[in-house]
Amino acid sequence: MSMGTDNKIIAFCCEKSAYLAADRAGRMRLYYPDNVRIIRVPCAGRVDALHMLRAFEKGAAGVLVMGCQEGACQHLTGNLRAKERVRYTASLLEEVGMDGARVKMVNLGPDMAQKFVRVVKDMAEKIKER
Amino acid sequence: MNKSIAVIGGGASGITSALELANSGFRVYLIEREAAIGGQAASFCCKATDICTKCSVCLIPEKLNEVAVHPKISVLTDSTVAGLSGKAGDFEVEVLRKPQYIALERCVACGMCAGVCPTEPKASRSPSPDAVPYCYVIDETRCLRLRGEKCNLCQGTCPTNAIDFDREPERKELSVSAIIVATGFEVFNAREIGSLGYGRYPNILTGLDLERIFKDQGSLKLPSNGKEARRIAFIQCVGSRNEGHGYCSQVCCKYAMRFARLIKYQNPDTQVTIFYIDLQTAGKGFAEFYDECRGVIRFIRGVPVEILETSGELEVRFENISEGKVERETFDLVTLSVGITPRKDSWSLARVLGINLGDHGFFDTKEPFNSIETNVEGIFLAGTCQGPKDIPDSIAHGVAAAEGAMGVLEKCK
Amino acid sequence: MGIFLCDCGGSLKNIDFPKISGDLEKLEDVAFIDISHSLCLEEGEKAITSRILSENINRVVIAACSAELREHKFVRLLEELRFNPSLLSLANIREQCSWTCEGDVTEKATELIRMAIGKARLLQPVERKNVPVNREVLVLGGGFAGMKSALELSRLGIRTTIVERKSTLGGKLKEVEGFYGLETSLKQMLDSMITAIEKDNNIEVLTSAEVTRVRGEVGDFDITIGGGRREFSLSFGAIIFATGYRTEILPQDFELKPGGNIISQLDLVEMLRAPEKLKRRPETIGFVLDVCDENSRLPTLSSLNNVLAVREKLGSEVYVFCKNLKVDSEGAEELYREARNRGVVFLKFDEPPQIYREDGRVTIKAKDVLLGEEVVLLCDLLVAEERALPPEGTKGLSSMLNIGTDSQGFYQDENVHLYPAASARKGVLFVGGCRGNLDLGRALTDIASAVMGSYSLLALGEAVVEVEKVRVDPEKCRACLTCIRACPHGAIQLLRVNTEKEVAQISDLACDGCGVCAAVCPAKAINFEGYSDEQILAEVETIGG
Repeated sequence: MSMGTDNKIIAFCCEKSAYLAADRAGRMRLYYPDNVRIIRVPCAGRVDALHMLRAFEKGAAGVLVMGCQEGACQHLTGNLRAKERVRYTASLLEEVGMDGARVKMVNLGPDMAQKFVRVVKDMAEKIKER
Repeated sequence: MNKSIAVIGGGASGITSALELANSGFRVYLIEREAAIGGQAASFCCKATDICTKCSVCLIPEKLNEVAVHPKISVLTDSTVAGLSGKAGDFEVEVLRKPQYIALERCVACGMCAGVCPTEPKASRSPSPDAVPYCYVIDETRCLRLRGEKCNLCQGTCPTNAIDFDREPERKELSVSAIIVATGFEVFNAREIGSLGYGRYPNILTGLDLERIFKDQGSLKLPSNGKEARRIAFIQCVGSRNEGHGYCSQVCCKYAMRFARLIKYQNPDTQVTIFYIDLQTAGKGFAEFYDECRGVIRFIRGVPVEILETSGELEVRFENISEGKVERETFDLVTLSVGITPRKDSWSLARVLGINLGDHGFFDTKEPFNSIETNVEGIFLAGTCQGPKDIPDSIAHGVAAAEGAMGVLEKCK
Repeated sequence: MGIFLCDCGGSLKNIDFPKISGDLEKLEDVAFIDISHSLCLEEGEKAITSRILSENINRVVIAACSAELREHKFVRLLEELRFNPSLLSLANIREQCSWTCEGDVTEKATELIRMAIGKARLLQPVERKNVPVNREVLVLGGGFAGMKSALELSRLGIRTTIVERKSTLGGKLKEVEGFYGLETSLKQMLDSMITAIEKDNNIEVLTSAEVTRVRGEVGDFDITIGGGRREFSLSFGAIIFATGYRTEILPQDFELKPGGNIISQLDLVEMLRAPEKLKRRPETIGFVLDVCDENSRLPTLSSLNNVLAVREKLGSEVYVFCKNLKVDSEGAEELYREARNRGVVFLKFDEPPQIYREDGRVTIKAKDVLLGEEVVLLCDLLVAEERALPPEGTKGLSSMLNIGTDSQGFYQDENVHLYPAASARKGVLFVGGCRGNLDLGRALTDIASAVMGSYSLLALGEAVVEVEKVRVDPEKCRACLTCIRACPHGAIQLLRVNTEKEVAQISDLACDGCGVCAAVCPAKAINFEGYSDEQILAEVETIGG
């Protein structure tokens, strides 16, 4: 199965939560769609609208920004900043006629492997409905 | 006098003590009974709704990894303390280690051994996804080879030659200046209160069961039929504040409320009721959370006396204190908020180390308001083995014990 | 660049390693591609070592299992080989690929490795260096927590200065007689602590003094202290807040004002110091809890101590009205049971009681849920609940230092990663009452945490930092202050570089590596090595082919 660029999902994963949850999903052998590409970041607050938009520019069909639970960010508000930037990016997408739901902010704890898999699967479903 | 310290127990407080000491330049031997460190907390789940509820479970994985990679910490899993001699500044700790048929330093967790293992369930057990070290372990009770039969499949398949069935139990002598006991707790065995039906009816769970269920599955379904629960009851003070356990376990009201809130968040139509005596709502940041809970959870001041199953539902008979009468209500799932009790094997470690047990069965401290020193100089206590605590308090206590242990080293200089 | 692929003992069967190797060989800047069975074991280390020593490579890409498991190991190996570990880029092809994929796993693995390669090309070396840190600690507040922190730090060889607002040390220890169960009276404890401090060469005490200004970062806080007419600056490596708490019977919680026969817990304690001086022994004493603040341990704990003292010293009848007894502290349940054994009556309400003065006594009217009936108690003395409040000056100090407070106004954000004693600013710690821990047991562990926290930061007199891992480009910086306001760790300060220009500067020691500054800088003047915009975008752009 060769994959074109037009159904990739870029998942920016905070190294304290989502990256660990993804690892846990791996250890539990939970299968999720192959088209996910995880990019590790020190905090969801590192992710900028620039990074999200470039992903779409380069052909990504969906972007997930995954960080710690609200109130549990080691950098206090990094995940809240990310949430705002995701909202902003979604509005930019809408402005150019794309579905803003293709970019999503997700909060989870480092052990939440099922949630990781669920949100990835949900996004994969969403981008199929073109 | 050497600059080493032994920490007995690799749970929340033990790993904290180990890290504090190792980061201050001391060598630490972390002696852990099980095949993996992490203790109870490593099996607990994140209880966030759309915001963090401060359960603090997420503090553990990072610490475990730090311990596993720290150059100054030697983790001895499958190990117990068999003997002790010497005194503060100069102890000799005798450690007994179960044979490591799969060498931890060689196992890369590729899983090929389990792939060829002929038994069902497999004798070569995959580690739990949270296990640190993340390595396969041979279950002696299932392994054909260890039961005397001819089988060499895993040893032959292992690509790193990690498996060797000729390994024997090891006895090690550790020279340390101080010892920290951080052996943790057991939850109250709810079967001891027969009238509450635990073990008899499938839809009666304990708080510990909920931790595992949420961690593995992410949501709660009725054990009996896998459907959603419509009416859930939590019963507080099961095994606390009673005859035999005359103390508050400190964690149950909070975990019950966090679970209750999480369940309501996932299934807003589910009715959740908490039966309590005195609701423990103190603690940083808990007041707001409690206010939120009040809006969506029924709180009934009452002590359930009996739970019976009638036509598939659980009938809880309780004394409704506010109304002053005995009532009955039906639920489809009941969670018993079991408390923290001392480990039943504490007495044996107490005997080996020469330390005392207190009135409630936890390890005793030398004097009131000194929660880390035992009657033996150089032996300190950390975490719930000294008394009930939640995760942040256990971590803080682990730091305190480390500080105490450092005092011994400073004194001996 | 050198690329190492690990097939985890040959178990990652759904990845065609030779195919990946073949694909990547075509890249110009790749010196070699090695396939190993176990990069994390000795054989793998040998392979990496021999390649690094023999080949002329300046970037390393490793595709293996999770960074969580192995990154430290590879980093340590590279350090030993004098290869800067910042030039290492990792791809997770096991937990995040082979173990969770069903389709074309090789294609996914190849792309993940290409992402790591794209990033590796842009990595720059970051040096590690030892920087000196000031080994002295400032303790703000000379009450029990402050004094104990100073004494414990001294035991570990760390010098402290206690800055106390009042003219004497002691805080609440001066006001309270004792805790039930403690053999030494608090007065004796206070005296012995003060004596110990006076004798201790490691502890300096400044009374009638306050902090008026704080500049600098962990390792080098520049603190201005004012007292009387003097003002001077001192340097410290860390700051421990031990400013205690206030108690008040808030007028709005009671229609009645305190006074006469409505007293506070502290008033009661004072009374119990010299019971023989009382004109008339109160026959009946009522305690009311959980009206001002039903989520605090303080009223329960003070009451449990005081009712026992009352029974012992006055023999009065004691009734305690409460909603929920907070017994989640060590020894609390035992105190409760003893109080009941000694005849103290506990009544529980759901609705707050009505309280009014009548005929020179105080009447408490409440529906007792245990009896299910309304109870009317006429008492000679009502001990009203006290609410614990953050100490005076908290707002000022917290904004001066840019540290958070919780929803009740006490120090320390409500973030579990900070518990027990830390703040988001490295080197600033909190103990005891000022962070909301009002019971002695927890306050003691707070103190140990703050002591150990400062000790491990400062004991060596130097700390290892990654030099300019996150760096502001002074040419591009417009001094807009955005990063300074955004930094959750207070690690950025404005520095004057010359007469015309001020730029933001990031403290290597205080920086916690979140990258929020790099994201918010409107001029894109901040480079976060390892997670720079270019490096992240290099990973993103790989999917474009």
